[in-house]
Amino acid sequence: MNDEHLLNCTELHAGYGRVPVLRGVSIVVRPGQFVSLIGPNGAGKSTVLKAITGFARLSSGTVTFNGQAIRGMRADRLVPLGLAYIPQGRIVFGQMSVHDNLEMGAFTVRDESTRAKAFARVYDLFPRLAERRTQLAGTMSGGEQQMVAIARGLMIQPRLMLLDEPSLGLAPRFVQVVFETLAMLKCEGLSMLVVEQNAAQALALADHAYLLELGRNRLEGTGTELLANPDTRRLYLGD
Amino acid sequence: MVTLVQVVVSGLLLGGVYALLAGGLTLIFGVMRVINLAHGEFLMLGAYASFFLFVRLGLNPILSLLLSMPLMFGVGWIAQRLLISRVDRAPLLASLLLTYGVSLALTGGAQATFTNDFRSVPFLSGALNIGELAFSVPRLVACVTALLLTGAAQFFLARTRWGKALRATAQSADVALACGIDIDRARMIAFGIATALAGAAGTLTSFLYTIYPEMGKTFMLKAFAVIVLGGMGSFPGAFLGALALGVIESTASYVTTTQIAEAVIYITLLAMLLLRPQGFFGLKEA
Repeated sequence: MNDEHLLNCTELHAGYGRVPVLRGVSIVVRPGQFVSLIGPNGAGKSTVLKAITGFARLSSGTVTFNGQAIRGMRADRLVPLGLAYIPQGRIVFGQMSVHDNLEMGAFTVRDESTRAKAFARVYDLFPRLAERRTQLAGTMSGGEQQMVAIARGLMIQPRLMLLDEPSLGLAPRFVQVVFETLAMLKCEGLSMLVVEQNAAQALALADHAYLLELGRNRLEGTGTELLANPDTRRLYLGD
Repeated sequence: MVTLVQVVVSGLLLGGVYALLAGGLTLIFGVMRVINLAHGEFLMLGAYASFFLFVRLGLNPILSLLLSMPLMFGVGWIAQRLLISRVDRAPLLASLLLTYGVSLALTGGAQATFTNDFRSVPFLSGALNIGELAFSVPRLVACVTALLLTGAAQFFLARTRWGKALRATAQSADVALACGIDIDRARMIAFGIATALAGAAGTLTSFLYTIYPEMGKTFMLKAFAVIVLGGMGSFPGAFLGALALGVIESTASYVTTTQIAEAVIYITLLAMLLLRPQGFFGLKEA
């Protein structure tokens, strides 16, 4: 596969039982890119991320990450390769402190000084979490829990971060906070593949974007191109 | 007043050993959502191990823990790897049937190997008198040992890398996987520790009660009552539930009779299930 491709998914097919969900999706993420994956409900956006991370079974297709074939590998084996996955629903370990949540994020980081650096960087990026490091994650607001989930993913200093609907179900002001965080991480040079319902904001940040429909690629281009595309505007932006 | 203190303290001494057994049961439930019906049989195996080490080699039961606990950890690890891992993602009924089968097989195996004879370990006797209070020395030693082991397990779960990983797996196996935690390994460690704790509880009961192949049943029922009180899946909850159950049992047998005290335990269990099924510290089901 092309060295330029950090993540290369070709012709992904998957389904739950006999209902096909992905019918040939292809996606590429290049190093340093912010890639948005948008589309209506049932387009298969989340399934793409689950298929990459081994949570959903692919019936065919290839997935390579950093030149290595990773199709069918379980999530815990992908983490050491530098692939962070933040599942939908801002899932945190609710009965653990913020600090312990981050420590679990760094579970595969065995070197003490690398670990300490990761903690320092993450607390630097999220001062709010530094203030609340001893609070039980389950007692925080939805927006703060999403911060914990993202911060947990950053603990491995990932090459690529997959985010599934980070703004889903959040109050408007927290949606804003989430997108500001994503913008900040983009500035830091982190490569990201982000699934979002909130198409306008996800496209505004995107270097490259894919529009999925019924489990297939429908459109792709730069964020600006998709924002300007009449189909996208009609389907998502209420024109 | 003296009597009341005596009764409560006896209850707490009893509770220490229950905590050891119930701690493992609740750990297994928390990490893999399996109710291990063979847990009492692991206690029975631990009791026989101490019996033979004591009778054949003259080994002090407390010292024999150094030998039997690692062995029982291995038994639990293998049981999880070969058996439980086949059903820990299946509906609860599958694991109930499997662990019930393991329970029957171990009881039957023990009857065939060790016979149905009642055995006992004549280790420690007498009482410690403090003022007007008298405490049985074997119970005191058993309780202190149980508390130390429960404390060690709690320390492991709260402070160490794999201990935290076990709790993370209990709270969300998928997110634990996404953190890079090998959840199969976490499950084997959890089952291994639980089995080692059950075996240790067996060692402690070996010099308090009679040893026979079916002894696990009574203890299993009590451990079950403990985790209903404390909350399924909560290790600190099991500890408090065990002390509470010990005091309830001890008070009930003082006020009534030992037989009625057994009934009181199960009435408490039913009342708890009706009024507060999640226990004092139970996991909220996702």
